Amino acid sequence: MSGSPPTASELRSQALDALGQASNQDELSDWHRDVLGRQGSLGQALRNIGQLPKEERRDAGQALNQLRQELETAFNDRQDQVRADALDARLVDERIDVTLPGRTQPMGGLHPLTQMQREALDVFAHLGFQTVEGPEVEYGYYSFDMLNIPKDHPARDVWDTIFIDSGEKEITLRPHTSPMQVRTMLAQDPPVRVVVPGRCYRYEAQDATHEWHFQQIEGLAVDKHITLADLKGTLAEFARQIFGAARQVRFRCDYFPFVEPGVDLSIDCPFCDGSGCRVCSNSGWIEILGAGMVHPNVLEWSGYDPEIYSGWAFGMGIDRLTMLRYGINDIRSFYQNDLRFLRQFQRARI
Amino acid sequence: MKVPVKWLKEFVETDLSAAEIARRMTMAGLEAENIERIGEDWDNVFVGEVVNVEPHPDADRLVLPTIAAGEHELRVVTGAPNIAAGQKVVLALAGARLIDGYSEELKYRTLKPSTIRGVRSEGMVCSEKELGLSDEHEGILVLADDAPVGVPLADYLGDEVIEFEITPNLVHAFSISGIARELAAILNEQAREPELVDVEALERRDDHVEIAAPEHCGRFTYTLFENVTIEPSPDWLQRRLIAAGLRPINNYVDISNYVMLELGHPTHPFDADKLASDEIIVRLAAPGETLTTIDHVARELDGETLVIADTERAVAVAGIMGGVDTEVSDDTSRVLLESAWFEANSVRRTSRQLRLTSDAGARFGRDIDPNGASVAAARIAELVRVIDPEARSVAFADKFLRPRERRPVAMRYTEIERLLGMTVPVERVVEIFERLDLQPEVVDESGTTVIKTSAPTYRNDINIAADLVEEVIRIHGYEHVPETLITGTAVPVSRSNERLVDQIAQNALVEAGLFQAQTYTMINEDDLLALSPDGNELPDLYGGYARPEEALVRATNPLRSDWVLMRPTMLPSILKIVAENLKYSPSVRLFETARTYQPNALDELPDERRAVVLAMSGERQAFGVETNEPDAMDFLDVKGAVEHLLTRLGGDAATFTAVEHPSLHPGRAAAVELDGVQIGVLGELHPRVAAHFGIEQRVAVAEIDLVVFAERFNAPWNVQPVGRHQPIQQDFAVAVEEATPAATVQAALQKGAGPLATEITLFDIYRGENVDAGTKSLAYRVTFAAPDRQPAEHEIERARDRIERAVGREVGGTLRT
Repeated sequence: MSGSPPTASELRSQALDALGQASNQDELSDWHRDVLGRQGSLGQALRNIGQLPKEERRDAGQALNQLRQELETAFNDRQDQVRADALDARLVDERIDVTLPGRTQPMGGLHPLTQMQREALDVFAHLGFQTVEGPEVEYGYYSFDMLNIPKDHPARDVWDTIFIDSGEKEITLRPHTSPMQVRTMLAQDPPVRVVVPGRCYRYEAQDATHEWHFQQIEGLAVDKHITLADLKGTLAEFARQIFGAARQVRFRCDYFPFVEPGVDLSIDCPFCDGSGCRVCSNSGWIEILGAGMVHPNVLEWSGYDPEIYSGWAFGMGIDRLTMLRYGINDIRSFYQNDLRFLRQFQRARI
Repeated sequence: MKVPVKWLKEFVETDLSAAEIARRMTMAGLEAENIERIGEDWDNVFVGEVVNVEPHPDADRLVLPTIAAGEHELRVVTGAPNIAAGQKVVLALAGARLIDGYSEELKYRTLKPSTIRGVRSEGMVCSEKELGLSDEHEGILVLADDAPVGVPLADYLGDEVIEFEITPNLVHAFSISGIARELAAILNEQAREPELVDVEALERRDDHVEIAAPEHCGRFTYTLFENVTIEPSPDWLQRRLIAAGLRPINNYVDISNYVMLELGHPTHPFDADKLASDEIIVRLAAPGETLTTIDHVARELDGETLVIADTERAVAVAGIMGGVDTEVSDDTSRVLLESAWFEANSVRRTSRQLRLTSDAGARFGRDIDPNGASVAAARIAELVRVIDPEARSVAFADKFLRPRERRPVAMRYTEIERLLGMTVPVERVVEIFERLDLQPEVVDESGTTVIKTSAPTYRNDINIAADLVEEVIRIHGYEHVPETLITGTAVPVSRSNERLVDQIAQNALVEAGLFQAQTYTMINEDDLLALSPDGNELPDLYGGYARPEEALVRATNPLRSDWVLMRPTMLPSILKIVAENLKYSPSVRLFETARTYQPNALDELPDERRAVVLAMSGERQAFGVETNEPDAMDFLDVKGAVEHLLTRLGGDAATFTAVEHPSLHPGRAAAVELDGVQIGVLGELHPRVAAHFGIEQRVAVAEIDLVVFAERFNAPWNVQPVGRHQPIQQDFAVAVEEATPAATVQAALQKGAGPLATEITLFDIYRGENVDAGTKSLAYRVTFAAPDRQPAEHEIERARDRIERAVGREVGGTLRT
């Protein structure tokens, strides 16, 4: 044996010194193993107790056990401290520039015409109108004849039409969604309440406000006791839901061969509340659609008795409505699909 | 139709402004498109009188007239050859804004005092061109002798011109008097009648007219004038024609045009001495017969063309344009003035056939009132009396085959409420009908109040009760129509699967980072052919489509050569948009859901089939500024989007198989199949195809049918309960030949593992050390789970053995440890 084993107080000051030096989890673990572990210095001291004189063993044992408890506590405290320090250090280390742009998933967007169409159809669905669709390549029979626009009638000139190569039958690219009025009535009994979205085509030169390829929503309601007042009320509701609760609507007389009476619907200008501005050409009003009471000929040819049933129909241009809503001044932008344009519609309204 | 307001107010008395007239007419169905103000710019411009004219001391071609205009009297310098003392002229003072008379373009300049050849000029006398009245700039404008000196010119010559759109139903308002009649009805005023001469009392030559094509011509009249003097029309008449958009020619032509504008009935003056005789025949042209019209175009006529003829030849295309040989000219001394009525369809057909439109044809083509023919003749005789007093109207001929009667139209009073949803008192209805000269009569027909009317012969638009209801409300005022909602039986609002699928697809692709495009649905043949650079059969996507020369859906009158075919595939449309966007955007991710058009048999409508097209090109989206250089998007980017789409649509069981596709990269193309049916393709575009569309970089595309998903939309899908037991995950590395598709390896794994393997995910591909050349190692994570237990150690062991055997058997692979 060389020298006497260290006393409890010597062990204590050495161990606490070493513990104070331990600054991370690895060092703490090492310290725990070296001091409190099975082969550690404290265990060694306990095993050495037997070499002490008998009368000293009890006190020494007590002292070492007390020391063990103290060191365990000190270890736990130190460990908590080291972990807390480490966390603090990490948090400091993780400081970032919060003004950097956010990290995103790539995000796409719906086309503005799609959003406008969805919104309009949603409003009409809540008003009890079912969405149906029809062919874009359409017989002249439905595009014109059945709509009270006979061949050689001057009214046909109003619709500059693109025709499709065919044999005996006249086939058109539908110039409006109105053929679906007839198709719907032929396919079902009254009452009818439908809206028809879709692409339409005209033989028309393009400019900022005219497109040969555009989109409409047709509306049709037929039943007993359907009136022009219902048309006005329904469209007023639509206008208010889309353009704001304060909107006023106005009819004026207009002519479409498949309705009688025929009207145009205007809303008071949402940009100036009707006081007159550039958008409404200082008139205070903006025309948004054509409409009217379904012509008795159209009802009758579609198998509905015009003495019993009445109905109304309207057709609105979705392109124009979208332009109005977002202040877009060139209809062609919709079909150019420039991403710099499309990106501006990532904000959703529906 | 352009309507000068002063002219309009000759027919109806009103103090309303042009703007208010335009508004009231628009509300009642005659839309005013524009108001032009003549003289709006005429500040500091006055009616003046030439006091004297002195020669310019230093210039032979200039003179120095002194002009008096009220408080102003000043000497000006002018080069006008036609100026003379005593004339009433237009005097512009400094500050006046005038059109530059010497400029070809419309250019304004503000008049400043100036010195011309040493003589100070404080103002100028104006030509018509400088005032914007016409293109005349040879001489100055000389006003009528009774022009009020000193008055601002705008008060004397100014006017407002309202341009109305005349819809096809409004032929009765296709004239000044017709519009006045409408305005009078709206204002509850009496419209005035024009001054007429009783031509019917002249010597009658009815038997000088033969109508040989009675189905095309219901009436023909002529008035014969002798001792006529052909000269320019008086100023007032010329100015009205110009304001209404017509060019003055000479007095007789102008009178004819004036009456057409005023009464809506076209007429035509012939030089009677250039006709073979005073005998007129209205007949169909002999096929091949020719006629040179007054626009100096020789026209070959077909056998359906109605002509006016003398005993020798055709002299006018009936109702559209006269012949040049018989037109009125300076030496004309007798005028035969035709005023007739031609059947509208015949006129329209001929107009189309000859591609010849005219103001006359536009009116006859809409079915004007045959009774108007003699009124127009009488009005012309009156104007001739005023304008060419030396002339004598000597004879009148009238063949009237089909006189038109007033048309009885009746309406139940209740029809107003049934259609409008509001009541209008019966007295008010009667008053409105009286204003419109409908001659209403209220009768009781077995307890039902019926209003009988008779429509004037000029109103061809009133035929049924609904037409009368419109007359009531447009005069009563649409502002009285209340706003109500539909009552009665509710109609179920069902949703269409196809629309839902469309919407889900759109949303899914937006989630996947793509932007929705909406492109033109027509394409050209080159773009379609370019999809097959080797000239092979065109790609068969899902329905298949034919080559352009076959029966595609083709426009007979395409607007542009770019838009000839209704597209059987959306690829060309989206590729053009991609090419355009790559000029501005480094990362292009686009899709469109729309219809494709698959041709059917002749005279059947094509199948319009919903599909979706995707195109991605350029940088893969950077995730943040600290990321490295972005890569170019490729096949797998578009596949990821497609997989996302398929998952949303319930098509995640779809498989991808390498295919050869003429439009696509030979090594990067896949067919998408669902339940053994091909529903689409995806791949990187073949560089040669991309080049055709102007794209020089990698572009990945896909086109997928959507109808198939609508058809399966209502198929139930069952949700599996989530097991409470811990699943076990094990990794398997499989070495296989390079060419073996990963999906096949995965299928082998699944087959071997059986239902205990609930999920198999490829997480690594390794080539290199410890893997033989020509082979690759695919690492899969397999999740083993069972609903009722945690899989036991021995179950996993057995699964592992089975996997090893399956991999060897199915794909010739080995499990690596």
